[in-house]
Amino acid sequence: MIEVRNLHKRFGAVTAVDDVSFAAADGVVTGLLGPNGAGKTTTLRMLTTLIEPDRGAALIDGQDVARNPIEARRRIGVLPDTRGLYPRLTAREHIQYAGELHGLKPDGLGQRIEELIELLDMRGIADRRAEGFSNGERVKVALARALVHGPRNVMLDEPTNGLDVMSTRAVRALIRRLREQGKCVLFSSHVMQEVSALCDRIVVIARGRVVAEGTPEEIRRRAGKDNLEEAFVAVIGSDQGLMQ
Amino acid sequence: MTGAVFRKELKDHLRDRRSIFSGLLVPLFGPLMLLGMFTLLASWLREDRPLIVPVAGARNAPNLIAFLQRYGALVETAPPDFEAQVRDGKLDLAISVPEDYGREFEAGRSAPVQLVEDSSRAKSKPQVMRARRLLELFARRTSMLRMIARGISPVLVAPLELTDVDLATPEKSAANVLGVMPVLLLMVAFFGGMHLAIDAAAGERERGSLESLLVNPVSRGAVVVGKWLAVTVAAWAALAIALAGFGVTLAAVPLQELNLKFQLGAPEMLGLLAAGLPLALLASALQLTLALFARTFKEAQTYLSILVLIPGLPAMFLSLQPIKASVGMMAIPVFGQTLLMTDVLRGEPPPAAWFAIAAAVAVALSAALLAWAARLLRNEKIIFGRAG
Repeated sequence: MIEVRNLHKRFGAVTAVDDVSFAAADGVVTGLLGPNGAGKTTTLRMLTTLIEPDRGAALIDGQDVARNPIEARRRIGVLPDTRGLYPRLTAREHIQYAGELHGLKPDGLGQRIEELIELLDMRGIADRRAEGFSNGERVKVALARALVHGPRNVMLDEPTNGLDVMSTRAVRALIRRLREQGKCVLFSSHVMQEVSALCDRIVVIARGRVVAEGTPEEIRRRAGKDNLEEAFVAVIGSDQGLMQ
Repeated sequence: MTGAVFRKELKDHLRDRRSIFSGLLVPLFGPLMLLGMFTLLASWLREDRPLIVPVAGARNAPNLIAFLQRYGALVETAPPDFEAQVRDGKLDLAISVPEDYGREFEAGRSAPVQLVEDSSRAKSKPQVMRARRLLELFARRTSMLRMIARGISPVLVAPLELTDVDLATPEKSAANVLGVMPVLLLMVAFFGGMHLAIDAAAGERERGSLESLLVNPVSRGAVVVGKWLAVTVAAWAALAIALAGFGVTLAAVPLQELNLKFQLGAPEMLGLLAAGLPLALLASALQLTLALFARTFKEAQTYLSILVLIPGLPAMFLSLQPIKASVGMMAIPVFGQTLLMTDVLRGEPPPAAWFAIAAAVAVALSAALLAWAARLLRNEKIIFGRAG
């Protein structure tokens, strides 16, 4: 369960996030949709305790990210927009490092790593160094690392960005699976098709503000449009960068 | 958690072939340099080498030539281009006796003799000095004979009877030659962990892996300490390699021929480690913190390369202005360690309390730097680059 209340963040003269509030419930896939530079990544970074909000609060399962960052971090699995792998470590070692940092015990961790390698279809790359990995392989490793501790809340920043069709399908399958397991999944995207294909609820962000929120059907109805695409264009005020 | 970070950094580092290669080779640079220097010095100083004196115009001064030969010099006829040969280093020296030598000598005036040398050639210096000593001895003898012949006591022109009493112990003079050793060792302490520090701080930022690391439920302090310990271990390993290298090369050097009664035994090694290991803690903390400010690997490399030069500063100052070590100086990092190491090598190990003070200062400063580094990792400008 992720709750965001009146978040504010300025960088110098630029207001990146301006009074953003929304909630993402367990067992639901929530999409943060908005054009590039709308404030999606900044919002996620505040939720993952990497950036401190100027005002407002963000709660992960009731834990305030600013006040109890370590407690909040225990409850989240994060795929940052920079996948950030260590070129000299193997895929397996990446997952193991994350597991150790979460304080998982060696025997339980070993089993968990095998599960994730199976789940993400990483047999072929498990013991290869990350040096020459493709985009899709990098995302898989980063996802496994994010999920090693079985977090209840999963935050993914543009998870399918730069992936080929097969990898995109695999990531989408994983997201649906997480929903079936009752996890709270929050992911950001600037691609409308991506969000409408996966999300139960959508939070539309533009220029640092929430401009629409609800199920796809609600958003379409409130905007008074026949289809979702036109509804997005209407609430954001332009179609810049949303189509692919 | 600290342990997990520490293990990962070391494992990652050990797989980096380039940095391992330089980490092993650079510490050996100092020992090899000393080995070369000492072997060369010994070959120059060998006293059993005959003093060869090429003389131009030998028949102008048969008495001088006879004197030189009596004192063991091998007098040869100088080649016509002896000046060029001295300049090129083919001859160590030459003596040139002008035609009017005989006339002036007979008349009891100062007779001209030229000692031809190239003072920029350190290799020739011992031979030139030996020749000069013989010439001066000849001059003194002659002046005494002349005074006695005129009924003057030679004592009249010697109002002082000057005798050199050199109190420098052989260990002390050895320490002068070995003054470079502390500098080399401390540089190694700064160099050994440099690559790892850059990779663990700036490299982590540049790769974008810092974000993934910091979203784990680990305090920034634990992350920083884990990385710092890994950097320190790398620095310690380099220090140990350098010290072992010095031990091996100094055992191979003909120290006796250099008249150096110096040794690098277990007590000296321990003393050097007691000074060097704590400083490596500080060097590592400093490098890690500084590397956090760099956005890229290259940028960090520029900063930290300058840092490696720091150990050269106290030595430079000490060579210009030699001072006696005192307890207060132990509180100045790098400077204190330079003095400690110098005294250890000189055979006069300082009191244990001095080592303790120097170590305590290094540890305290490391702790302060690490606290700062942990704060930096809470700063979004550091995590995501200066643009925010």
